[in-house]
Amino acid sequence: MLQLSRYVALFAAFALLPVAASAQGLDDADLALAYGDHEFVSIATGGRTPITKAPAVASVITAEDIKALGATDLDQVLETVPGLHVSRNGNQWLPLYSVRGIHTQYNPEVLVMINGIPITSGFTGDRGRMWGDFPLENIARIEVIRGPGSALYGAEAVSGVINIITKHAADIDGGEFGVRAGSYRTYNVWAQHGGKWGDLDAAVYLHLGRTDGFDGNIEADAQTGLDRAFGTSVSRAPGPLNTGYDAIDLRVDLARDKWRLRAGYKGRPDYLTGTGVADALDPDTRMDARNINADLTWRDAQFRRDWDVTAQASYLHIAEANTDITLFPAGSALPLALPGGAVSSIGMVGRPQHWERQARLDFSALYSGFERHKLRLGAGYFRDDLYKVTESKNFTFVGLAPFCINLDCSMVEASAANGLAFLTPHQRDSRYLYAQDEWSFAPDWALTAGVRHDRYSDFGATTNPRLALVWDTAYNLTSKLMLGRAFRAPSFVELYTVNNPVALGNADLKPETIDMLELAFAWQPRAKLKTGLNLFHYRMDDVIRFVPNADPTTGNTARNAGKQHGSGLELELNWDVASNLRLAGNYAFQRSVDENTDQDAGLAPHHQVHLRADWRYAPGWALNGQVNWVADRERPAGDSRPPIDDYATFDLTLRADRGRSGWEAAFSVRNLFDADAREPTTGASASNLPNDLPLPGRSLYLEFRYRP
Amino acid sequence: MNSTVDKTLAMTYRQPPVSRHFSPFRLAALILAALLGNVAAMPLQCARAAIEPTTLAVLYAEGDEADAGQFSEIIHAIEGMPSVRVLPIRLTLGDMMLAEAGGMRWPLANKLALNEGAIAVVYPEIGEPYRSVFGKIIEGIEARARAPVTSYAVTAGTDADALRATLKSKDVRVVIALGRQGMRTADALNREFGVVVGGVMAVPEEEARNRAVISLSPDPALLFARLRSLASQVKRVHVIYDPHQNNWLLRLARDAAREQGLELLAYEARDLKTAARLYQDVLARAEVERDALWLPQDATTVDEATILPLVLRESWDRRLPVFSSSFGHVRRGVLFSLYPDNLGLGRNLAGTALGLLGPNDAAGRGVVPLKDVQLAVNLRTARHLGLNFTNRQQQGFDLVFSGQ
Repeated sequence: MLQLSRYVALFAAFALLPVAASAQGLDDADLALAYGDHEFVSIATGGRTPITKAPAVASVITAEDIKALGATDLDQVLETVPGLHVSRNGNQWLPLYSVRGIHTQYNPEVLVMINGIPITSGFTGDRGRMWGDFPLENIARIEVIRGPGSALYGAEAVSGVINIITKHAADIDGGEFGVRAGSYRTYNVWAQHGGKWGDLDAAVYLHLGRTDGFDGNIEADAQTGLDRAFGTSVSRAPGPLNTGYDAIDLRVDLARDKWRLRAGYKGRPDYLTGTGVADALDPDTRMDARNINADLTWRDAQFRRDWDVTAQASYLHIAEANTDITLFPAGSALPLALPGGAVSSIGMVGRPQHWERQARLDFSALYSGFERHKLRLGAGYFRDDLYKVTESKNFTFVGLAPFCINLDCSMVEASAANGLAFLTPHQRDSRYLYAQDEWSFAPDWALTAGVRHDRYSDFGATTNPRLALVWDTAYNLTSKLMLGRAFRAPSFVELYTVNNPVALGNADLKPETIDMLELAFAWQPRAKLKTGLNLFHYRMDDVIRFVPNADPTTGNTARNAGKQHGSGLELELNWDVASNLRLAGNYAFQRSVDENTDQDAGLAPHHQVHLRADWRYAPGWALNGQVNWVADRERPAGDSRPPIDDYATFDLTLRADRGRSGWEAAFSVRNLFDADAREPTTGASASNLPNDLPLPGRSLYLEFRYRP
Repeated sequence: MNSTVDKTLAMTYRQPPVSRHFSPFRLAALILAALLGNVAAMPLQCARAAIEPTTLAVLYAEGDEADAGQFSEIIHAIEGMPSVRVLPIRLTLGDMMLAEAGGMRWPLANKLALNEGAIAVVYPEIGEPYRSVFGKIIEGIEARARAPVTSYAVTAGTDADALRATLKSKDVRVVIALGRQGMRTADALNREFGVVVGGVMAVPEEEARNRAVISLSPDPALLFARLRSLASQVKRVHVIYDPHQNNWLLRLARDAAREQGLELLAYEARDLKTAARLYQDVLARAEVERDALWLPQDATTVDEATILPLVLRESWDRRLPVFSSSFGHVRRGVLFSLYPDNLGLGRNLAGTALGLLGPNDAAGRGVVPLKDVQLAVNLRTARHLGLNFTNRQQQGFDLVFSGQ
């Protein structure tokens, strides 16, 4: 506690600095009359409004919000969204976006897009196995839609859609340079510039970063269990998580008239393996992810009378390479030696790598020529090409047991020819069509009906409709009733994996589906108080899970085996207590049932509360405090561990904006009270990592930005 | 700095050959003329001057005068020419020495760049997000002045004497005062500088007589024109206002309404109680087929906690169009509002300041409404009122609130 009091004292010292400067209220009244309250000013001074394509339960987080939160990574921002909880995957400690109780190990049920273009890796259906965060300084806003979105956005928009909108030249508006340093030897430096380059509106962003990463203690891992079983003692546990990485991000945005060209590079060299690829701590392996994306967009808002037309071509390249991965360390009993052969001197080692490229073409048009109707039409083509998969390893499975491949247990290049490859290159195409009509059929009533048909070259076709009835009930109350269906496409791993009995592919998989009914109210009872209430009920079908084969000694195969339903609500409040104080909060509740066991689906919190205060207590000075309470997470059926503890974290951020001097500084403490926050492990990880996954304790960040 | 010079004609006045001795001032003037303006291109530039006033920099040294005050008379005569703005520049010994040292180009060019050092902006030291508002206005000022403008953030504790000394040392002649704090600081500068005020709602008329004020209140003419285009059925506009705050605006509004073919029914309310009664009365008897209600920027009569909810509720229930001079009201539920185009406002303030710099002090005095505006529309309210805008119409809206 002594240490804590030191932090509090430090904060107080910083926070009291501006008290000498007298508060400036002389101009507030005039400015508030002309520009509205603080929320509007960012809009009036050049910000953009969210582009909602259809009625939905949506949250928008602006660049100003992100700064105020003192967030240093995307996950901290997403955790503030009602009904969205950022958990962790036992496998590699990857972030896992748990929305409305839909919480699966690889988390492909959330569609993440950059500028409206999916960044889903077809390999496992998530954002890649080496995510390594997304830098925030170049984000103009993040739109998060809860509920199914496949009627407009296609695959993976099952539990929600996260759309990251990067900054245009006008959003950056000049130059900015920033540095940040913080706990876990985290360093970031970035520069961005937005302005005119000849006839072009040009924006450039460069970020370099490195972090040792959160080093929370893993008390026991998969090797601990093996040590117990085989009488060895080689586990790295207890030992620290390995979550460090280097980061290079480059983004370019060029626009002229109706054209926009964007390109981005996201490199994550020296990416560590978190809990280890096989849930055994592995500090030595280095991974290297390099993603390149580009899109060329043409939009003519007045193409013809009443026609607003957009055409877009985009490309995404994902490369996930790594050094030899130590699945189990040297001295482990695995892989088992062949009769008469040597024991592995390097442990159980594999080196799977893959390269994937995606191309998309999308045409969309908005037609407003029919009175009381707004028609949205679209069509497109998508090719996902897992064009290169390599693997070398020193083990192969015999039944469920890994054995050395050869007598000296050395590494062997796997191929389809020698029957050792776990996955071979695959390609998938899809074509889609969609239509949506927003029909204002009576005063204060609008019905939006949409449907999208996707035809995939591998698993076939899927059609996903959506209906939304919006009633402007009163001047300060809007009610929405929404019903939608969505799907997620089986990933390449789920379809085609061989030689890995833990997770064998199944080419006969169908897409996973969800149907969700939502009722949402937005009510502003007072000028300064906004509230929202969303109720939902969903049912998922054909959920893809790896289930034991009829002969369990042959392993697990992906099947459309799961069914789950759930209900819940989200309550949101935003209260402008005074012109310089805003309180915001949300409460989310959900209860989901796994229909196979008829028990709670577990893992996701039943209750989550997020409270936030933004206090601009002196000109140029702002203090932000947040509380995040995650509670009541049950274990899924078959997991006999006691329920995981609830936790509450408290964050504080002090930001000083020194006006026209161009300098801005921020000091953040996250998890001020150093709460022991943990996320549950599941599946095989539940037994491999029995003490669940720790989240960062108290951590400090100091940031400076300069705008010339 | 050069960019400020390209449209500026430098003209030298040459003393008749009374004394033929070598004058470094004349040399400086000649070199400067060659540097800044292609003399051969003068006719072309003069033709352009017919469209916009041409600024003539007249360089002179009093030491060259045959008779005291001779140059002043000549300058005065030039000033009398139409479409000409004169910048007299008296060359000093320092300029001469710099000229002889070969480094004369930039100091003199600086002097020629009308706004370099001639305009200062004082704006309130204020936190975000309003700081960005002033930032954009200053950006607009700099764009119009086409040179960096010196800006000073001021507080109630700013030392006016020190600021005055700084401004004088920088040859500042006009101060653009932004916000009430900026205006107060400018007041304390002892009328030594021309003052243009922006970023304030309104200024009491007696205070505005000696200065040019561009209010944050949108021009009623623009509001009424928008009303006609968005809700063409409206023939009558009701407004409740505090004469102490908005007399000046209502004078303009009456003229604007007449020009737009609208009937303006204006009711005075000097306190909130009267305003509340008047609002209830107007909302009860307004004819929705032809009436609309205008909410001006009026701290007395448009109370956010009492009047606005009443107006929003009643107008929603009765389907009466309401429009506002306050941007924040649009998301709350009024049909539309005009809000400041900060860059445009900055440009306009700089233009007015340049007018004050001119010899004829061409800038007007008094308060003028905001003409650099953008349009925000609440589509949810529009739908409720039965107004369906086409895509093309919506392209013309700077900001929409859809209620989705």
